[in-house]
This record gives sequence, structure tokens and C-alpha cells, in this order.
Amino acid sequence: MTDCPNGLIRDQLPEYVHGVLAADAAARIDAHLDGCEDCRAEVALLGKARAAMALFTPKMDVASIAAALPAPRVAAPRVAAPRVAAPRVAAPRVAARRAPRRFAVSGVWQYAAAAALVLAVGSSALWLSAPERSAQRVADSSSTATVPGTAAALPMNAAVVAQSENGMTFGGGLSDLSLNDLQSLLGQMDSVRTLPSSDPSSMTPVLTVNEGGKSL
Amino acid sequence: MGVPHREADATVDLALIARWQGGDQRAASEIVERHAQALARFAASHGVRDAVDELVQDTFVRAFGSLESFRADSSLRTWLFTILKRLMLDRQRAERRGRNKVELEEDHAVQEFNALDGMVADEALTRVRQAVERLSPLQREVFTLRVTEGLPYVEIARIVESTEGACRVHYHNAMRAIKEYLSDD
Repeated sequence: MTDCPNGLIRDQLPEYVHGVLAADAAARIDAHLDGCEDCRAEVALLGKARAAMALFTPKMDVASIAAALPAPRVAAPRVAAPRVAAPRVAAPRVAARRAPRRFAVSGVWQYAAAAALVLAVGSSALWLSAPERSAQRVADSSSTATVPGTAAALPMNAAVVAQSENGMTFGGGLSDLSLNDLQSLLGQMDSVRTLPSSDPSSMTPVLTVNEGGKSL
Repeated sequence: MGVPHREADATVDLALIARWQGGDQRAASEIVERHAQALARFAASHGVRDAVDELVQDTFVRAFGSLESFRADSSLRTWLFTILKRLMLDRQRAERRGRNKVELEEDHAVQEFNALDGMVADEALTRVRQAVERLSPLQREVFTLRVTEGLPYVEIARIVESTEGACRVHYHNAMRAIKEYLSDD
């Protein structure tokens, strides 16, 4: 038995045997079969294969299979019925499950985390902006932090500006700032990294001293 | 192609599912009637002999237990074939763990043949069946779904978790192998 070189026709022969081809496609197959012995032989083989598979397959007992099936889940009546009269409908084996609770509360935790983050950033900025603390921090850092230039010789009464690595500066008091300055400060706070870096040097502030001017 | 025919089948299945979900238990029987024998043929093509009815019943029990998850992007029969195939794979794994069955090599899956079958069956059909049983498992799956069920390659690819092109190649290789086996007579 050889193969017909017309692959398109051969590809459709199983559907042709099943009678599921559209009329025009079936007509094309019919016309081809008239002149192609290979395809006629293949159609006969497909028929035998179908018959063989059916012959060696046990007959299914539809009734017993249907009896083992779960009952359909029928919507409960809206009006509450007496308990004794309530229809008992067996629940399907796979019942609908509620969404896991952790997904339901995750949004709350996200809001809480965001609020905590805002509080942490805000309180840090306020703490840093307090004049006496700012001066104290700069004085303390002169002995421990790396201070470029001559900042180590810092006079205690000098106005101090602490400039972080990303260019943000701190100093003076909030009451010294105008509305525009406050808005600018809030904008810069958005860019502050609130988590400690794995590189300690990147956390070291760069300190500059501004002689008496408003610091920002 | 045969799209209208399949669409009509799908429409009937969806209507039966809706009836069953509305509380009509007879619709379940009709669904079983429509697809049980096809599932049995698929199981038999895998070499399952003794527990075909059990596998088919389990397939329907699982399907009806999760019918709400059935999406009509494939036919109900294709979905049932997919469930049956998973059940057969689970069964094969369990048998391998239990060492109760001789493992079949993927490329040499020659099924043992019950000589009694040959006595009661037409000899030509018996030879064809032997030829089919000598195919590799994947070739046999594709060939069975294509020839005995008339499924298109796209649906076969979903069931056997392959591509349409690969299924087409498996089908034609299977056909060639069967012809060669039969021509050796």
C-alpha cells in the first residue's frame, strides 16, 4: 500500500470517513477518490481501524455511570422554608471555595504598610530638621562619619546644612521655610531611600556648611 | 471542513449541561450516552483492558463534580478526553509504584494481545488492531483520536498536550507504520 502524494486530501480522509466534512469538501474528496487507488485503500483502512477499535472496546453501562454522578447543585429557594420541608440536594463533590482570607486582608496590610512608611519618613524629616538636633547630629557626625573637606572644624554656632547623597538638604527649622520651600521639601522627600543600603558608604551624608544663610 | 457538525454537537452538549445544572438528572444520562463509548475506545487504545468502565465512570464523576469549571473553548468531549488521560496517567504511575505492571518502553509499546480476541473477531480487524497496538503511545493516542473519533488536530493537540504540527506528523507516521505492518502479511 503506497501513499498518495496529495497530502491535503489525505489529511482530510479521517473527517471524510466520519462524514463531518462540509458538502463541498466531501465532493472534492469524492472526485479525488474516483481516480486515486491509494486514497481508496486508505479510506478502507480507516474504516477497518474504526471498526477494530469499536469491536475491541467493552460496551459501557450508561445507567450505572449516570447513577454514580453527583447531583446538580440547584439554587436554594429565596423564601426560607421550614426545615423539615426543605429539599435536600446533595452538594457536588467539588464545592465552591471561598477565596483564601489572606488575599482578602492583603489590601489592608498594604495600606497599613504605606501609612507606616509615610510616618517613618515624615518623623525622620522632622527630627532631622529640628535646629538643635541638626546641629548636634552634625557635631556628633564630625567624629564618626566621613566628612569631606574641612567640615570637621565645625563651629557650634554656625548654621548647618546636612546634604544627603541625593542632593536633599536639611537644616534650620520648618517654621523658617516658605510654602514653596515646604512643597519643594516634600517633593524631595519622595526620593529619599527609606531602607538602609547594603553599602554603608552610600548612607554617609555629605555635610556642607552655609554661613548664616537660610538652609535649603 | 466539518465545523457546522461540531458546532451542532457542542450546542447540544451545552444545552444538556444547562439542563443538568437546572436540576434535570436525565440530562446527565444523555451526556454519558453521548460520550461514554468514545472515552472507552480511547482508554482501550491505551491498552486498558480490565478497568475501562471504571476509568470512564471516574472520568464522568470528576467532570460532573467540576462542570462549573468547564469553559466552552473546547468541546465537552475534548475536555472529557483530557480528564480521562490524566486519570490514565495517574493510574499508570500508581501501577509503576506498585510494581504490578511491566513498564512499557515509550518507543516499543507492543501491547500483549489476548488470543481469545482473535478467535472471535474478524481476522482483518484483528490485524489492524495489532498494527495499532504496535504504535508508540503518542502515535496511538493521536491515531485513535483522529481515526476513531474524527477529532481535528487542534483538539487532539490539547488532549495530548502537543502542537497541531506534531500531531499531524504523528498521525501520518502512524498511518505509514500500520500500512507497513499490514503489508508484511
